[in-house]
Amino acid sequence: MPRSLVGGDLAGPEMAQPYMKKDDDDEEVEYSPFFGIEKGAVLQEARAFHDPQLDVRRCSQVITKLLYLLNQGETLTKVEATGVFFAVTKLFQSSDAGLRRLVYLMIKELSPSSDEVIIVTSSLMKDMNSKTDMYRANAIRVLCRIIDGTLLTQIERYLKQAIVDKNPVVASAALVSGIHLAQANPEIVKRWSNEVQEAVQSRAPLVQFHGLALLHQIRQNDRLAVSKLVSSLTRGSVRSPLAQCLLIRYTSQVMRESSINTQNGDRPFFDFLESSLRHKSEMVIIEAARKITEMDVTSRELAPAITVLQSYLSSSKPVLRFAAVRTLNKVAMTRPLAVTNCNVDLESLMADQNRSIATLAITTLLKTGNESSVDRLMKQITNFMSDIADEFKIVVVEAIRSLCLKFPLKYRSMLNFLSNSLREEGGFEYKKAIVDSIVTLISEIPDAKEIGLLHLCEFIEDCEFTYLSSQILHFLGNEGPMTSDPSRYIRYIYNRLILENATVRASAVSTLAKFGALVDTLKPRIFVLLRRCLFDTEDEVRDRATLYLQTLGGEVSIGNNEKNAKDFLFGSFDVPLANLEASLRTYEPSEEPFDISLVSREVRSLPLQEKKAPGKKPPASAAAPAPVSAVDAYQKMLSSIPEFSGFGRLFKSSEPVELTEAETEYAVNVVKHIYDSYVVLQYNCTNTIEEQLLEDVTVCVDASDAEEFSEICSKPLASLPYNSTGQIFVALEKPELVPAIGKFLNLLKFTVKEVDTSTGEADEDGVEDEYQLEDFEIVSADYMLRVAVSNFRNAWENMDPESERVDEYGLGVRESLAEAVSAVINILGMQPCEGTEVVPRNARSHTCLLSGVFIGDVKVLVRLSFGLSGPNEVAMKLSVRSDDPEVSDKIHEIVASG
Amino acid sequence: MGFWEAFLNWLRSLFFKQEMELSLIGLQNAGKTSLVNVIATGGFSEDMIPTVGFNMRKVTKGNVTIKLWDLGGQPRFRSMWERYCRAVSAIVCMFKFFWLCRYVVDAADRENMAIAKGELHDLLSKPSLTGIPLLVIGNKIDKPEAFPKQSFTEVMGLKTITDREVACFMISCKNSTNIDSVIDWLVKHSKKKN
Repeated sequence: MPRSLVGGDLAGPEMAQPYMKKDDDDEEVEYSPFFGIEKGAVLQEARAFHDPQLDVRRCSQVITKLLYLLNQGETLTKVEATGVFFAVTKLFQSSDAGLRRLVYLMIKELSPSSDEVIIVTSSLMKDMNSKTDMYRANAIRVLCRIIDGTLLTQIERYLKQAIVDKNPVVASAALVSGIHLAQANPEIVKRWSNEVQEAVQSRAPLVQFHGLALLHQIRQNDRLAVSKLVSSLTRGSVRSPLAQCLLIRYTSQVMRESSINTQNGDRPFFDFLESSLRHKSEMVIIEAARKITEMDVTSRELAPAITVLQSYLSSSKPVLRFAAVRTLNKVAMTRPLAVTNCNVDLESLMADQNRSIATLAITTLLKTGNESSVDRLMKQITNFMSDIADEFKIVVVEAIRSLCLKFPLKYRSMLNFLSNSLREEGGFEYKKAIVDSIVTLISEIPDAKEIGLLHLCEFIEDCEFTYLSSQILHFLGNEGPMTSDPSRYIRYIYNRLILENATVRASAVSTLAKFGALVDTLKPRIFVLLRRCLFDTEDEVRDRATLYLQTLGGEVSIGNNEKNAKDFLFGSFDVPLANLEASLRTYEPSEEPFDISLVSREVRSLPLQEKKAPGKKPPASAAAPAPVSAVDAYQKMLSSIPEFSGFGRLFKSSEPVELTEAETEYAVNVVKHIYDSYVVLQYNCTNTIEEQLLEDVTVCVDASDAEEFSEICSKPLASLPYNSTGQIFVALEKPELVPAIGKFLNLLKFTVKEVDTSTGEADEDGVEDEYQLEDFEIVSADYMLRVAVSNFRNAWENMDPESERVDEYGLGVRESLAEAVSAVINILGMQPCEGTEVVPRNARSHTCLLSGVFIGDVKVLVRLSFGLSGPNEVAMKLSVRSDDPEVSDKIHEIVASG
Repeated sequence: MGFWEAFLNWLRSLFFKQEMELSLIGLQNAGKTSLVNVIATGGFSEDMIPTVGFNMRKVTKGNVTIKLWDLGGQPRFRSMWERYCRAVSAIVCMFKFFWLCRYVVDAADRENMAIAKGELHDLLSKPSLTGIPLLVIGNKIDKPEAFPKQSFTEVMGLKTITDREVACFMISCKNSTNIDSVIDWLVKHSKKKN
């Protein structure tokens, strides 16, 4: 064995030798001391830990190698890890400080199972009280990782001592351990408050930082205590910049939670933030500026923060420039005007060496820029584009797309820019982003259509990406025939048939057929082209050509079956692809052919698609639709319960509504699942009492205030052990498609059984008990799905004007215009479009656009115009368009009653 | 400092070549940690906390350095004893049993005896530990109701262990009875370093 070890040692340098020679040209390269480390050999070397005469140096090297391997992602098997762990524990016999430190690291890194790791507890407890500070600090950190509640009470007093230890390393270790321990044993850590408070006053920066973090964690559920903590510390006893940053965060949190009363009068917290802008540490200044910009402040209050950030834009430190430009970028999203002052500095940053900074600068400029500066910006970007990486180019392209949607009149220069970019070198993702942008622009801006299509046609003349060619050809087929001169596109399409690979040729055949179906004057000529394709080498191309020649009727019966042909070519594929894929996966080959009509057509909450833009990617600016995955999960869960499987399609599931205060014995919330003629209430109950087991848990729903609902069945919960969450369901019937509303009183009923916490066994006998829950209501907003439209104007124009209902309402005296807007949005439960939910400060009037889908799958669009008359007296004009005029009336009813 | 210490260690290793490694096992509350303290410092303390895991102590007696692995006796540690007994110079196994009154064994202790015997014989049957000398110690003979050596040997089935050297002492950590003979036995068994 010693021989093999020696061999293993030598293997490293020997193996490295040939590589050295190969890289003659740059001899500067330094080889890592970890070169050529291999798990098997290192495990062999770990036997050194068992030697009766320990070689400390060697053991240290072996542990270093093991740590290196583990950090490189190498894993040890259970047996290997156990072996190494016990071997490492033997190193406690050495009193070498360096080796002991590595032993601590190794124990943490291996994190063996709890029944094994307990073996080092005693040794760590000894080290924790050792005279060596380094032992104490590290032993505390490791011990807190492996300890359980009962042992913690044993060592608690040592930890308390350590927190106020005069050595900052020890105190910090104890505080950080406290932060970790507070997750599992909050009640024990809470008892350390006095010591932690002392630590916060420490002179050592790190201790103060960790102390503040722990103190906040101890008090985080008590708003008043946090507020007191912050107000006492903001008077200036915090020396450490890191602690100051934390304090700024906590302060802004306190301000957010009590935002209403701070609007006027004296604002000590805000003054603190503002004074932090003049702190000597840059970190603190940036943090303060960030928090101020995130808050809802007046332009005058915002100005100092922006000024500070602006000064950092020209800092020599890249990290400051980055932090500043990143913050400004965020501000520009909501308040572009505030950032315009920085435009000059931002422009100089476009040439920054650091590309992250440059890209952020550009995108910020694009947001703050006004219509007149767009041209100049575009010119500058063009120079800049050639020397940045693809991923940043994509960011720029996306920024330009949203800019173009903002200033539609500038489409010409934007399209030129995009098409120029298309011609340059670039990877697939970049080209795809450009093509997607052009497609979006064409769909959004009618004037841009013809130019845009020609740009795309030019691009496919020399396009190396099959996917993009096919996508463009498909798009061309849908848009091209409707242009003023469809024949100009035919040449580009036919070139594809001659020059490209089979996939693109097949797409081109389909595109030609679409032109043929829609443009009668071109039809005979297109037939000629299609017939040539019958001799293609690829059968898919031939098949398509044959099929289209047949459906379009050939020359025999022009005009026949025309409607069918169009439906076939342009009809949308009404089966969701995900559902089709799932059905095909489960289909087993048999006599019976696959039947597409059996595939579920249940539409998931997709964004509304405008008729003009099939297959269009929704622009990134549109707000995300309701979380699809959550709805799917609910649907899956509910349909697996036999009682509810016959209820049909789940229309909407609400957000959970809390029915109990935080930190009560039982935590209960309710999710309202809306079906066409049923409502299922899902009560999520959590038992937070360790000594109790709940059985036969039911919820008594008193619907006497909700006449239109009648309870049909309920599904109780058989048992609810400690710290688990269970569901109770109550199903209510209501008139079909009627948005019935009402208030529900709830009472939780259950049988309590005492549990012996040491054994985990429950008593035989239980006591019946009940627990009063808070009321909740089913409101009209529950029948409205938040669904975004990406272009409100188009969608509005496409709705039947007959369905429009307009009325005016006085909303009385309101806090502010913004408050009135968000109140109406909440009553309707609809999705604000195009960012119109944000009310500019000091605005006297505002228009807000909302969209949604009402129960019965009725699309609804709402245009709200708000105006201020007199002191905070808000008036509103509400126009509704929807697929069903009755629903339009309904919306007015909702607003009138809300 | 470090250099001097290393130098002294080197000198010491030249002259005091003997050293040994011991594992101390036995059920909880047998007095293992107390024995270590008595050997190391001569002090005895009545109230001890249970050892969670192990304590590592180095003791120098005469010209022998003894490395002591004092292992926890609670059930959750017993499966791990074997790992710390491999390649030691001797296994020291410690117990205490009491009469309730003459010839009647305390019921709880009767159960403990069976467990103690089982654990000891289980451990000795491990192939990694063959041939390692065994020292069995009966503790707490300061109490009048403690077992005499005769019954102790019988109860532990020491006669049946034939594949290694076995010795048995009755001691009291509290009164330091017989501690010297234990140390003498240990020193005699320390390996000569090559």
